Amino acid sequence: MDDVIAVEGLRKVFRTPFRRRRVEAVKGVTFQVRRGEIFGFLGPNGAGKTTTLKMLVGLIRPTSGRARVLGGDPGTLEVMARVGFLPEQPYFYDYLTPGELLDVFGQVFGLPRALRRQRIDSLLDLVGLGDAKGRVLRKFSKGMLQRVGIAQALLNDPELVLLDEPMSGLDPVGRKEIIDLMARLKDQGKTVFFSSHILADIERLCDRVVILHKGEVKHAGTLKELLTQGERKEILVAGELPDGLSGRPGLLATDRVGPGVTRLAVESAAADAMLRALLDARLEVLQVADRGITLEELFVKTAGSGPVGAREVAG
Amino acid sequence: MKGLFGSPRRVAAIARNTFIEAGRNRAFIGLGIAAIGLVASSMAVSGLAIADQMARVLVDFGLFAISLLEVVIAVTMGVILVFKEIDRKTFYVVLTKPIRRSEVLAGKFFGLAAILAIALVLMAAAWVGSLLLRDVPLRHDMVQALVLTWMQALLITSVALFFSSFASPVLSGVFTLGVYLAGTSIYVLEDLLAGRKGMLATNEAARAVAKAAVVGLPDLSVFNLGKELILGIPIGWDYVAAAGAYCAGWIVLFWALAALIFERRDFA
Ligand SMILES: Nc1ncnc2c1ncn2[C@@H]1O[C@H](COP(=O)(O)OP(=O)(O)O)[C@@H](O)[C@H]1O
Ligand SMILES: [Mg+2]
Repeated sequence: MDDVIAVEGLRKVFRTPFRRRRVEAVKGVTFQVRRGEIFGFLGPNGAGKTTTLKMLVGLIRPTSGRARVLGGDPGTLEVMARVGFLPEQPYFYDYLTPGELLDVFGQVFGLPRALRRQRIDSLLDLVGLGDAKGRVLRKFSKGMLQRVGIAQALLNDPELVLLDEPMSGLDPVGRKEIIDLMARLKDQGKTVFFSSHILADIERLCDRVVILHKGEVKHAGTLKELLTQGERKEILVAGELPDGLSGRPGLLATDRVGPGVTRLAVESAAADAMLRALLDARLEVLQVADRGITLEELFVKTAGSGPVGAREVAG
Repeated sequence: MKGLFGSPRRVAAIARNTFIEAGRNRAFIGLGIAAIGLVASSMAVSGLAIADQMARVLVDFGLFAISLLEVVIAVTMGVILVFKEIDRKTFYVVLTKPIRRSEVLAGKFFGLAAILAIALVLMAAAWVGSLLLRDVPLRHDMVQALVLTWMQALLITSVALFFSSFASPVLSGVFTLGVYLAGTSIYVLEDLLAGRKGMLATNEAARAVAKAAVVGLPDLSVFNLGKELILGIPIGWDYVAAAGAYCAGWIVLFWALAALIFERRDFA
């Protein structure tokens, strides 16, 4: 039993006290995170990622279901001593400098003074805030606060790191740095569990993922499993697709990719028949390639093919 | 029994941070300066008084101003400091550390206690200074009266923290002031209950409510000894110690209730 996180039938219903509205933010979610893996908790805005994470750190109580973290109950002293947590859009005591803030937390963790000082310095260097050590947090940008948040999540040298949208608020360079950092944490033997609604760059990062939508797990497994399901071929042809061909079975999508070039996405099983039909129609086939589904496509498919889902993915 | 009140180290970390927060907050510093100014200017009132009553006014009014301002500071800070943490979500990174919520509350309390002590010393300095200026003789009972004033502010702080553990800041402020006003006038109820006339002697329901108030609320007249000071009745350290025990009992009660509610609360 080396599950670092075990979640079973976890549910959370929010009740707004005066308006009689119930929001079932998480609807019976089950998944396990194994020691030493990078686990992506993915889904569009409002999927219930933050709510689930808050239940994993004891900030909110589940309505029903069970969550175990490092073999214990979420939020207890013994568990939280071994966990690092980055909240979504973190905010800190803004009258402190990052060094002072980390020192307060270091005291809470019970780290001796010398170790605190040494760890704070190296962590601030690690997240690229070595030069901003003496500045008050009030003057920090969103991206800088995100970096402070990462530093405080690593202060106790945790076994398990829970990061809620660690890439948000960062530019592409910053995102790359976080991704590299997560990979390094994994190399150190730590377990990384992070949520994200942004998929750019993370495909190679995750060992396993859960895709959450409207409070339910839609997909779970290794990325390889998820991305090879529904394998397809991509065909580039010169010119436009005649009307007669656009309704053929197995044709998943067509789009114009350049002047006079059309791209077809075709189910692998239907690819031979499609190629024959294209040649019969005297179209020039420029390229045929194998292509799995991308995480982005899977995501959009999960979120519903409407423009709202697509926008959430992009946002 | 070990750990009943939590880890001193963690409580101290939060207390220190609470103290720094107030020290770096311009609004709080402004409040402090205004308080000292108020005490100093309250002394100007005495200029209007008749000469032989001057000493009385200076002593009584000065002490009352200090006690009231301590309460004002206790209520505003007690309410605002907790609300700010929830509103700005700084609690997310604090409560997810290996620390009990009761320890966070205790830390806030001790940080505020230190701030109230500093405010008290500064206001007392203004008070004593103006007494010396007018040749009013100083008595060591004044120190005891001031310590009692501080205790009252500590009790009110714990009430404010209790209400902020579940109510909005405005409601918490109103409730806390309500407890202060009721607690200040509880001795009136006790007198009425002891008497043989009036509604409280005859109406059973009214009597029950009054009794509940007497039992369920701290009697703050314990901490307000301006009259004794004027009349020259000695206060004595044994009285201060007894009042301290009474005060501590109420604080622990309010802290325990606040912790109970706070532990169960969702930080969504
Ligand atoms: N405190 C709350 N009260 C009521 N509804 C909430 C609360 N927090 C979140 N929700 C709702 O729960 C759903 C999931 O939110 P959240 O967990 O923040 O999603 P995500 O992090 O995936 O964007 C949303 O519909 C959101 O509006
Ligand atoms: Mg979220």
